[in-house]
Amino acid sequence: MATEDARYRQTSQYQLWSFSPTQLAAMRENTNAAARTRIADRLASLPAASSNTSAPTSSVNTPDPEGAATPALPEFLTAPEEAQLMNFNTSELLRAGDHAEMPDEIKATAAAFFRRFYVTNSIMTYPPQQMLIVALFFACKAEGSFISITEFGKQFGKDNPEEILAGEFLLCQGLRFAIDVKHPFRALRGAMMELSTLPDIEARQVPSPLPREYSLTLLFQQRDRLAAAEHRAREILRFSALMTDAYFHYTPSQIMLAALSLADRGLAERLITQTFHYVAPPPLSDNSGVDTPATSGPDALSNNTKKAAAPRSHNNNNNNSGQDKTQMIGSQIRDRVLGTIETCRDLLSKELPERREHWTNKAVIKAQIAPLRKKLTKCHDPDRWNLVELQRVRREQAAKKAGGGGGSDDGEPDDRTLDGDAAVFGEALPVPPKRRKVGAGATGGGAGQGKGDPFGGVL
Amino acid sequence: MSRRAPPGARTGAAGSGSTSSSALAAINTEDMCPVCKTIRYLNKDMEFLINPECYHSMCSNCVNRLFNDGPNQCPYAGCHRTLRRKGFRSAFFGDLAVEREVDIRRRVAAVFNQAEDDFETLRDYNNYLQMVEDLTFDLVSGTDAQRRAAEATLQQWEAEHKADIERNRKAGREADEQSRRRLAAEREAARLRRIEALREAEEEKRERARSREEELDSLAHGEAGAAGGAQRVQLKKRGQAVASRAVEAAVKTDVAAADVGRLSIRGLKEKKKAPPPEGPYDPFGGLDFVPSRYKLRPELTHPGIEKYKVDPAHITGGYNFDEYTARAMFEAFAGLGVFIEDEKEVGIGLSAGDVATMSAGIAAVGDNKMELA
Repeated sequence: MATEDARYRQTSQYQLWSFSPTQLAAMRENTNAAARTRIADRLASLPAASSNTSAPTSSVNTPDPEGAATPALPEFLTAPEEAQLMNFNTSELLRAGDHAEMPDEIKATAAAFFRRFYVTNSIMTYPPQQMLIVALFFACKAEGSFISITEFGKQFGKDNPEEILAGEFLLCQGLRFAIDVKHPFRALRGAMMELSTLPDIEARQVPSPLPREYSLTLLFQQRDRLAAAEHRAREILRFSALMTDAYFHYTPSQIMLAALSLADRGLAERLITQTFHYVAPPPLSDNSGVDTPATSGPDALSNNTKKAAAPRSHNNNNNNSGQDKTQMIGSQIRDRVLGTIETCRDLLSKELPERREHWTNKAVIKAQIAPLRKKLTKCHDPDRWNLVELQRVRREQAAKKAGGGGGSDDGEPDDRTLDGDAAVFGEALPVPPKRRKVGAGATGGGAGQGKGDPFGGVL
Repeated sequence: MSRRAPPGARTGAAGSGSTSSSALAAINTEDMCPVCKTIRYLNKDMEFLINPECYHSMCSNCVNRLFNDGPNQCPYAGCHRTLRRKGFRSAFFGDLAVEREVDIRRRVAAVFNQAEDDFETLRDYNNYLQMVEDLTFDLVSGTDAQRRAAEATLQQWEAEHKADIERNRKAGREADEQSRRRLAAEREAARLRRIEALREAEEEKRERARSREEELDSLAHGEAGAAGGAQRVQLKKRGQAVASRAVEAAVKTDVAAADVGRLSIRGLKEKKKAPPPEGPYDPFGGLDFVPSRYKLRPELTHPGIEKYKVDPAHITGGYNFDEYTARAMFEAFAGLGVFIEDEKEVGIGLSAGDVATMSAGIAAVGDNKMELA
């Protein structure tokens, strides 16, 4: 196994956040179904006068506030509708990132966070329009650009930073604390580096059969061609890869090659054939190639013969390393890579950068998104929709749980008497002076409800 | 006459009620042979012997009398054990129950003689000790059935693990031997040191006497200044001698310590067998960083980084552009051969079901919290 692949398999992106399309679809269905039942329960258990909890919270334009209070269950979003809304919100996220002039990596990380979060959480449960801001803020931190929350809030017209901070831990939980996202941007640079060295070296040494258009006469155009391809590929990576589920289904290098192939097919194929150039040494050349289960029928055979026609300067007769090499850079694996990149290319081509206009088109929004939003205002989770309120309630819970024995709200926080089972172990240990000081400071500084809170009072 | 007094006193006391009975009891248990009723008073060097068959004590006279002609029945009423002369010995403890328990424990310990090192974990060892203790308790104070069962277990174990037991016994003996040798060596060293110290003191005394005499002589000859010089020289020489002797002694003790199995510190745990060499520590858990799909070459570069290569803000700090190149190249080729669809479908890593149940779990926790609210 190639060392590069082994290293990629160590990442959380591979271990936690890579799924096959069927798995991902199943998970989204599950999430949708679970959200439906839960929200139905909650709505049913709500008292009739529930408008005070749900009405003012959503940032979506609510056309009919009375609609939320109807006792009958609303119509829920289906999984495809959720996907539609999520794509729309992803484009909103990218637009917000552009508005704040963030680097590509941050926007991409935020988009990945956003989409990952809504794999196991339904859009009906947590408000996407707030979560996308949270994702952007958290992505800034994840990418090492530490911006102050007030500054950040101002950019999006949010005066109360609490609105952003409230969703942060929630987002982390949804991400299962895997906050390192591997992007294809730098990989694209690497590919360009490799490609820029190719023509002048390879054209002289080995006459490669595939790319006929790379003759010496076109050499001087290479640079421009590479630059154009890179520009286009980067555009695709900045939009298409983020708007689709490519990050779940493909590795960054595959996404990169698919984008490159969309930009300039010849370059991508050239790079792949260049990389997986190894042909098994003569004694076990063609037959062994067909025997291995990884080969896919006549296609592989034709490739093998093609390869044999273009002999390369490999004088490595060692059997063992030969097999290793076949595993790493052999022609069978090349065919699989080509196939994978082809599917990825299809996926990316659904959301080409030109679709940016589609997602901001007023008519489209009115026709497709607005009805969904309208639906959403009726069927969202009444308990979870307001993140600030949710966080406040959770903190109170935590404080109640943690402060059950010692330190109630008004009492002395260091009430060191023991009761019940704890008394078996004798008297309480004396509090170290430093701790005592901190405790005293907390009682002096924190006001009211912040006392039992490990994170201090309200900001 | 005074010899006769105690029996007279006893008979006198016998007449006077309750005090006599307690005195008699004392005599009964401690000083009277229950077989021949001889009392210690009449036979000063009377010795009580027991046989570990039944732990009934009797005086040595009775033993000689009864068992000289070969095995015989225990003379205690109701005890039908056949005893042999050879089995008799004097009891170490006054309380024969304790004597018996100690005997049993010794016997069990001789059979169950595993050391802690023989076990994988401390827990196993403790469990083993518990088992042995239970068995011992059954032997000491269990009912007949329990005792028989324990006895059977003991014999079975002994039969099955004869080799182990023998080996452990030998190891124990060796350890004993070693510690004894070490103690002896230490004692010997201490003795030598003492002798040395004595000799030194003696010598010093003699030296002092001689120097004093010399001083007196010199005074008598009227050479006061010379005497002072001599004294000083003398002192200096002696200091040298002491120092050199100290060095010698240190070397000698070192050698001695090396002789006695390299163990000069008491209570130091003996080093176990060295673990097999396992090679240098690999912080990356076997990942190797040699690229297999590309080669890092100096001509790899990108127009995007060219301008930074001459930018003082970047080159002054010593930024290495090769690092960037290596990273970009790695990312370009990492995971090319990872086919997520195939690998995740066959269940490498976390499957969809796991994720779903996990998220359901999170949601359930959240629900509980909300309901509490």
